[in-house]
Amino acid sequence: MASPARIAIIDDDTSLREALIALVRSIGHVGTGHGSAEAFLESGEAQAADCLITDIRLPGLSGVDLALQLRAAAMGPPVVIITARTETALLAKAAQSGALCVLRKPFAADDLLDCLERALAGR
Amino acid sequence: MDRDDASILDMVEDGVVVRDARGRVVGWNAGAQALYGFARDEALGRSIHDLLGTRHPLTVAEIERRLLADGAWEGEVARLAADGRALRVQVRWRVRRAADGAVRDVVEIGRDLGGLEREVREALETEHRYRNLFHATAASFWDLDFSGVRRMLEDLFNAGPVDPRAYFAANPDFLRAAIDSTRVVDVNDKTLEMFGVARGDLVGASIGPFWPEASQGVFAASLMAAIANRPNFVAETVLSRADGAPLEALLTVAWPTQNKGRGTVLVGVIDISEQAAARRALEKAQADLAHAARVAMLGELTASIAHEVNQPLAAIVTNGEAGLRWLGRAEPDVGEARVLNTRMVADARRAADIIARIRQMAQRGEPRREPIVIPELVAEAAQFLGHEIQGRGASLVLDLPPGLPLVTGDRTQLQQVVVNLAMNALQAMAAADSVRRQVTLRAAALGEGLVRVDVEDTGPGIPAAALPHLFDSFFTTRATGMGMGLSICRSIVEAHGGSIEARNVQDGGAIVGFTVPAGDVGGDDRLAGDPCAS
Repeated sequence: MASPARIAIIDDDTSLREALIALVRSIGHVGTGHGSAEAFLESGEAQAADCLITDIRLPGLSGVDLALQLRAAAMGPPVVIITARTETALLAKAAQSGALCVLRKPFAADDLLDCLERALAGR
Repeated sequence: MDRDDASILDMVEDGVVVRDARGRVVGWNAGAQALYGFARDEALGRSIHDLLGTRHPLTVAEIERRLLADGAWEGEVARLAADGRALRVQVRWRVRRAADGAVRDVVEIGRDLGGLEREVREALETEHRYRNLFHATAASFWDLDFSGVRRMLEDLFNAGPVDPRAYFAANPDFLRAAIDSTRVVDVNDKTLEMFGVARGDLVGASIGPFWPEASQGVFAASLMAAIANRPNFVAETVLSRADGAPLEALLTVAWPTQNKGRGTVLVGVIDISEQAAARRALEKAQADLAHAARVAMLGELTASIAHEVNQPLAAIVTNGEAGLRWLGRAEPDVGEARVLNTRMVADARRAADIIARIRQMAQRGEPRREPIVIPELVAEAAQFLGHEIQGRGASLVLDLPPGLPLVTGDRTQLQQVVVNLAMNALQAMAAADSVRRQVTLRAAALGEGLVRVDVEDTGPGIPAAALPHLFDSFFTTRATGMGMGLSICRSIVEAHGGSIEARNVQDGGAIVGFTVPAGDVGGDDRLAGDPCAS
């Protein structure tokens, strides 16, 4: 692995957010945690991060809407969406938002890391 | 006739007319004037038959001949009053003869039959109305000769004291014979159309072919009403058309008081097949809707539980994977792994807390603890089931001995168990299209202070492979079942400190039953009132 990548992680559930930071750290990357899409946009990580992992259900702007906004503005890193929701329509909308992967919680770490690898391949 | 005679005759209300041998009026009292409307002066000297236009079916000449031959005649004649009114007059004629035998005169006493005629006319009109009602209505009417049944009942009662209800229940052959002995006197045209039969095949025949065995109970009930001297009897039942097709009917039986002696009864039949079908469709739609609502509610509940629990599960899995990676390095980092392990324990606790919170939500308050008479509870449950049982063409047998010990617990919950088990039995028999459909609800005391309730059916039994999983959540053998019924039943029974089992009967059918302790047994408070506990 070349240089450590910067992975932004948005989840309002603190323990899952911390767990994801720990996971990316365990493979040598740097994770930054954000409790909401708004906090992420204010932090400037949209420009700095190499990849974004976001939950769908968030306080305020949803993960899907965030991905759509970033795509419309032609800015920001590749997006990986993770969700505990199971509604088919919502998952389809997430898949159409331009996200690289949509993963259902609980997901296998390998699946997430595969996604991450693909996201970082174009770095 | 002298004046004295005339004044005496005026005191008689009847019309008295005296005519001479040639038929000319020689006497005319006040009664005759009132009856015919002619004054004495107008009548005297006139030919009586010309004056009053006397007519008789045999001709006036003939009755005059008989009068002369016999010396007297009486009968009804038609006459016309002075104002042209047609009269029917009952007359008595007597010939008075002179000493030489020659006719001196004829005395006539006449009485107006107009009043009687009015009554007859009214009776005819009533009859006419009745015939119209009988023939020109949407209802089928049967005039039935019940005399055979009356004789059978008389013989039965003469043989000794008997409880008719019990006798009818124990002797279906008696009922069949009574039905067969009931004969058709008359029916209206609507009956021919409704039952698909020709008048010639019906009048004089027995009603037997139209009264199926399954409806004998209604015939028995109508006999009970007759015995109790009730004026009529109304019931819903199923009769048979001539081609054997069932006809759902509202039946009205009336015993006309005047006809009691003749032993005929009037039976009205209204075809309610369409209403009954509509009612059944509505009930099915309601049941389907309720089922769909339950499924939807459960689906929503499951989704929200899944979301709540998946969150900490995802954190646990992620922390675990990260920990494995720290430990899997060339130089394992135990410090990092320990931190992640600690988080995993905390997240697992959080998941357990969520489960506990959901269970608390599902609790419907404190379970009731009241003394329950099990046979009463089962009998009440049977009442709830009445319609379902009828609707599925099944019969219900209750075996509920008195004197069982009391059980302490939640009456509503235990009743739900009985209803649920019986519904399962009914659905199993209907799904298998079982010919004989009988549900038996049986209560019994077992040794060691236990009370047992069994629900037995005559269905196909439970597949051997299904028996071990019968009470598991989400296990179902039905296409549309949720698989929650029996698992909830088990939770309720276990909350009462009891147990529930299922087994097959040797010659087909299944028994699902539960045992609960008698007396004031606390049961398992952890489970009590919490059907989701299992």
